Amino acid sequence: MKKLILLLSLLLLCGGLPAVAGDVPLMSKDELKAQLNSEALVILDVRSGRDWSSSEFKIKGAIRTPGSEIAEWSKNYTKDQALVLYCA
Amino acid sequence: MKYSFLLSFALGAGWLLSPEALVIAGNSAGKLGWLTFPALAVAALLFGLSGNLLNQSQLSAKDGNEYLLLQNTTGTIPAIALTLASCIPLVILAATALLVTSGYTFNEVFLYWFPNFGFSFLLLTLLTLLQFFSEKIIFRAQIFFITLAAGGLLFLALFGIAGVDKPVTEVLRQPGSFSSASSAILLLLFAGTTLSGTTKRPFLMPITGFVIFSLWIFVSLSYVTPERLASSTIPYMTAARKVMGEPGRQIMGIIVISGTCASITGLMLLCRRMLSNIVITKNGAGLLSVKKQRWLFPPLVAIVTGLLMARGLAGDELLEVLLRGALILWLMHHTLLCLSALLMIRKNSQSMPLAGAISTAILIAALFTLLLNNPHRNEMLLFILSMLGIGGLLATIWFLIKQKPVTQTTT
Repeated sequence: MKKLILLLSLLLLCGGLPAVAGDVPLMSKDELKAQLNSEALVILDVRSGRDWSSSEFKIKGAIRTPGSEIAEWSKNYTKDQALVLYCA
Repeated sequence: MKYSFLLSFALGAGWLLSPEALVIAGNSAGKLGWLTFPALAVAALLFGLSGNLLNQSQLSAKDGNEYLLLQNTTGTIPAIALTLASCIPLVILAATALLVTSGYTFNEVFLYWFPNFGFSFLLLTLLTLLQFFSEKIIFRAQIFFITLAAGGLLFLALFGIAGVDKPVTEVLRQPGSFSSASSAILLLLFAGTTLSGTTKRPFLMPITGFVIFSLWIFVSLSYVTPERLASSTIPYMTAARKVMGEPGRQIMGIIVISGTCASITGLMLLCRRMLSNIVITKNGAGLLSVKKQRWLFPPLVAIVTGLLMARGLAGDELLEVLLRGALILWLMHHTLLCLSALLMIRKNSQSMPLAGAISTAILIAALFTLLLNNPHRNEMLLFILSMLGIGGLLATIWFLIKQKPVTQTTT
């Protein structure tokens, strides 16, 4: 039975690993702060559901956009604009 | 299995202190204004009266077995289907939603570098492992979670009341408009409070809930505008920050995480108890006794919850619809229990308890209000019907396997 408990623990912890891992280029908080007044900067809050509603941190002026519909909304922006996607 | 009153109370109070309940209370306070207090009092009274009704029916009071009451009225298969549909989706969906909320709270309030989903999975693992221990240890842990959450909330509320710089009458006159939907939602705060054998003192849990929420709503309305409370997705955190600044956030962070632990532990054990009631056989040996379920039910719930989180249900608006649907299923189960109790009392030629009959009628009306006033009612109805259908299918299979489930009747 101890093996079963150990297996279950590993399974559950491994389930969380994809959420821990990540290989996406990130912009630091300070980098973003430095560019906040730039007109070319667009902050897109792509969080949805409880990812958005449970979070206390919502950047002022950020536009809520569904991350899955990137092909749709990306047409609204020019190549001169810097798009910052805020996902967590 | 005998539950002492204190332990039953600790189990039933879990959901009352969950972050989800705090959101329902905060949003309702924003919409209803001062009307929240009478609406909350009515909700608490309804649960007190319906608990009293279940108590009067005698059968439910025996070992806290509500299933027998339902089975006596609806028959075996519908009773099993309703019981399965009311408890399993609620424990899984509530766990998914609450763990995600706790993950964000831990990440944003305590440790920025710790991934929110990492914390959600860690908490799920720990709470599942807790279910493998003896009930004595689970109950001790549950009392710890409840004390932490209730103590923190009362501390913040009293601290807030001490610092209110406007007259009490001004706070109590906060404008609000009556809405049957916003009032009916308050009933969902009391999920679980009648299913833990607390019917011996049916008014104690609803009164406790009323006192705690009234204090917190009073403080919330004193510090935060009703518009903000109504529209916020985390009204509890907004109020805590206004009351006490950064320490207030941290205390609320502890309340959210301990409330999540209390809620999941409470719902998990209540569900195990409800399932064990179903499978009582004539010789008393159930296929799934509470003790045996330790190795089956908690791991199953944990795996499904883990899968739902890993598949991104938390980031989908659908989770809110499903969770609301699961809570409505639970309320439906509770209402049917009350109807069964009324029928049983009438059958036994006792006088019809008027207060119980009125409270049951109001519960039925509230159930329809919650179903019909939801913007996603079609999806929700589909979910509810699906859960009842799956419950019915499992009940039929179960019935065929066991062949002779409970045939006990009451007098």
